[in-house]
Amino acid sequence: MQWSWIPQNWSIIWPYTLDNLLLGLVPPLIGLVISVPVGIACVAKRWLYPPVLSVASALYALPSLALFVVLIDYTGLGNLTVIIPLTLFSLCVLLPNVVDGLRSVQEPVRQAATAMGFGQLRRLVQVELPLAMPVVIAGLRIAVVSSISLASLGQLIGVSSLGYFFIDGLQRDFPTEIYVGLALTLLLALLCDVILVAARTVLTPWARGRRIAPSALTPGLPPAMGPA
Amino acid sequence: MSFLTFAWDWLKSPQQWQGSDGIPIRILQHLYYSGLSLLIAALIAVPIGLLIGHYRRGGFVAVNVANIWRAIPTLGLLILVVVLLGLGVLAWLIPLVVLAIPPILVNTYEGVVGVDPELKDAARGMGMTGWQLLWKVEVPVAIPLIMLGLRTAAIFVVATATIAAEIGVGGLGRYIIDGLASNDYGEVAGGAAVIVVLALLIQALFTGLRRFVVPRGLRLQARSSR
Amino acid sequence: MITFEAVTKRYPDGTVAVDSLDLDIPDGKVMVLVGPSGCGKTTTLRMINRLVEPTAGRVLIDGRNVADSDPSKLRRGIGYVIQQTGLFPHRTVEDNIATVPLLIGWKKASARARARELMDLVGLDPATMAGRYPYQLSGGQQQRVGVARALAADPPVLLMDEPFSAVDPIVRAALQDELIRLQAELHKTVVLVTHDVEEAIKVGDLVAVFRPGGHLAQVDTPERLLGAPADDYVRDFVGFDRGIRRLSFFPAAGLDLATDTVISAVTTFADAITAGRRAGEPWLLVAGADGRPLGWAAVADLAAGSPAAALADAELAPVGHTFRPDTDSLRAALDATILSRTERAVGVDASGRAIGTTSYERLRDAIRAAEDAADAGAGLVRQTAGEAR
Repeated sequence: MQWSWIPQNWSIIWPYTLDNLLLGLVPPLIGLVISVPVGIACVAKRWLYPPVLSVASALYALPSLALFVVLIDYTGLGNLTVIIPLTLFSLCVLLPNVVDGLRSVQEPVRQAATAMGFGQLRRLVQVELPLAMPVVIAGLRIAVVSSISLASLGQLIGVSSLGYFFIDGLQRDFPTEIYVGLALTLLLALLCDVILVAARTVLTPWARGRRIAPSALTPGLPPAMGPA
Repeated sequence: MSFLTFAWDWLKSPQQWQGSDGIPIRILQHLYYSGLSLLIAALIAVPIGLLIGHYRRGGFVAVNVANIWRAIPTLGLLILVVVLLGLGVLAWLIPLVVLAIPPILVNTYEGVVGVDPELKDAARGMGMTGWQLLWKVEVPVAIPLIMLGLRTAAIFVVATATIAAEIGVGGLGRYIIDGLASNDYGEVAGGAAVIVVLALLIQALFTGLRRFVVPRGLRLQARSSR
Repeated sequence: MITFEAVTKRYPDGTVAVDSLDLDIPDGKVMVLVGPSGCGKTTTLRMINRLVEPTAGRVLIDGRNVADSDPSKLRRGIGYVIQQTGLFPHRTVEDNIATVPLLIGWKKASARARARELMDLVGLDPATMAGRYPYQLSGGQQQRVGVARALAADPPVLLMDEPFSAVDPIVRAALQDELIRLQAELHKTVVLVTHDVEEAIKVGDLVAVFRPGGHLAQVDTPERLLGAPADDYVRDFVGFDRGIRRLSFFPAAGLDLATDTVISAVTTFADAITAGRRAGEPWLLVAGADGRPLGWAAVADLAAGSPAAALADAELAPVGHTFRPDTDSLRAALDATILSRTERAVGVDASGRAIGTTSYERLRDAIRAAEDAADAGAGLVRQTAGEAR
């Protein structure tokens, strides 16, 4: 492990790190924006959820590299080719969490809101979505961490990310680079995870000290709620 | 629609189906890498998961393992192992097994831990020993989640085996890596198409397997609560 | 006034929850809807704030059909309290209570101030509780918040659906007392649903007994329900010892207490024996200098003691249970009499000073008089077997 390599090459390490971060954050955010309305619809119309979930599961099963490749024809070799599949993956993670989160709002609370004169939209925005937040943030953590890690694959089709150091390290048989790439990916993931946990703690003071049931039935994803 | 045209043209050509670089061989290689890794990972992770779930120890570790697992860049891990150990069976086996263990472990643990405590109470009250409790009560109730863990791991392993082509092994990823290197989009597209079909088939296989493995009462219960 | 005009609720699968109901709920009174599970009482309640829509008939509030109003606006003017409270977990106690005021457009500061007012009203300390979250409260406290929340915008109507069923009996009794106290202050039109006939009798000004299938069996005051159940169903529903329970509605003030049986502790045995003979009672109540009862002296036993001794030195039987003629009922007086070993009870005033005593005979006369008055008021005449009175 050549430690000196790091400061010497910082000028290229930093941009790749930022590129990876971008590729790791944009897809979950877009996925969130899409999954909230779709999730609301799935809760409102129960019959909608099973087919949507099946499609999501099927999408999730596809290797991301294959999806990148499929898109090359349409979006070329730019960031979008990586962002679109990662957004689809994030959606697959976030949708069940949005649905479970909304469903976790207890019936008496919903009924009380209606009985007090909340219209449907107001009830959704002021009561149901805020209460669904812990579960949604749990999904967001998974989506963000996964995206940061998957983004490195983009380098295989030439999209700039920390994967550069893996491939370069392979070609030059230079372990140091590989260690650096691994460490930075893990650090980025850890950083984002911590920020999201902090956000959850700040945004949901009413849920402190209580464990929220993880969404155990997300398509193929183990629950990932660590201790708060 | 050009992706499909590219893929179709490439797949139509008979030479793709013969020889050591032919589709059948590559599929078999891919299944070999995936299947062996999954098997070994399951043999390690399921017992451990059952034990820590039954004795309710190490749950903290189990949950955090899942978090870390997702953060590991698979490409990085594959390349690291090959650079340190050289090309060989271990170069792909170790990373694939290491990556397959966490989802199986965590889901098995959660499956056992999630068994209704009242159910366990009733079983103990009937005079079951710890061992009997595990096999007669906890495992059957945990099977849906164990299957989920295996399915997750399978999907992940198939995807990682695709990437493993970058470090020089066979499998369907070969078409993508080689095609990109030689700018042959037909090969790339064709390879991707086959991988997509394979992944969907495996997904369907595991979903179908649930019907046989998961006890009927649990399946019906899950469906009615959806 | 809330009016149900031939209201029916039929569900698509054919079940009839409410069948052609006619009911008037007067303003400022507590109307309790009571009956077994599945009798339609909750459905009836929920048709007032349109959580359930009738399949036939009309529900009117002050002459206006509720179906003509916008549901959300209608509900903002009606308080609603449910068994599981439905408090918003993500809002503090204060913000929970302030919900409807904010909804109708109050400024945040006024809404919160109002919330604190209400917390005082329902017996919660604003200083410590305002910033808490529901999960930090006990069941009884949560239900108080629920009531406060329902009253925040000062609605004229308050609907309560089994509000106290989920708490333990001691808390339940306290909450029922709170409701009675609040109602005395606020005079809302309260419609309360319960399956507990005791609660109905305790809390209600009027009680509507429902039969399974959504029919009314009887609508009456609690006292009339106990005294004159309309049929066997109501009789069974109301339960055992109606007669004794009915006594809670007759004030003890109607009792003719014997005052000459109360003597001071400084009285000598000799004077006590004289007083006892004059009053014609075997027991005398000995009271201390402050007027409070100390115990019973048996006149017969006094003769054996030294005539000059003061009663204070005598062996006195314990007073047992006292009652307050100004606030208690005949039932309380009867209970005190039964519990006392001397078969007599002591009536005391607000500061605990003995006023007089009663016995089974005096109670019997008072009970008879009260029942006659009540029955006469209802047009009934007591049956007395062969006795010319």
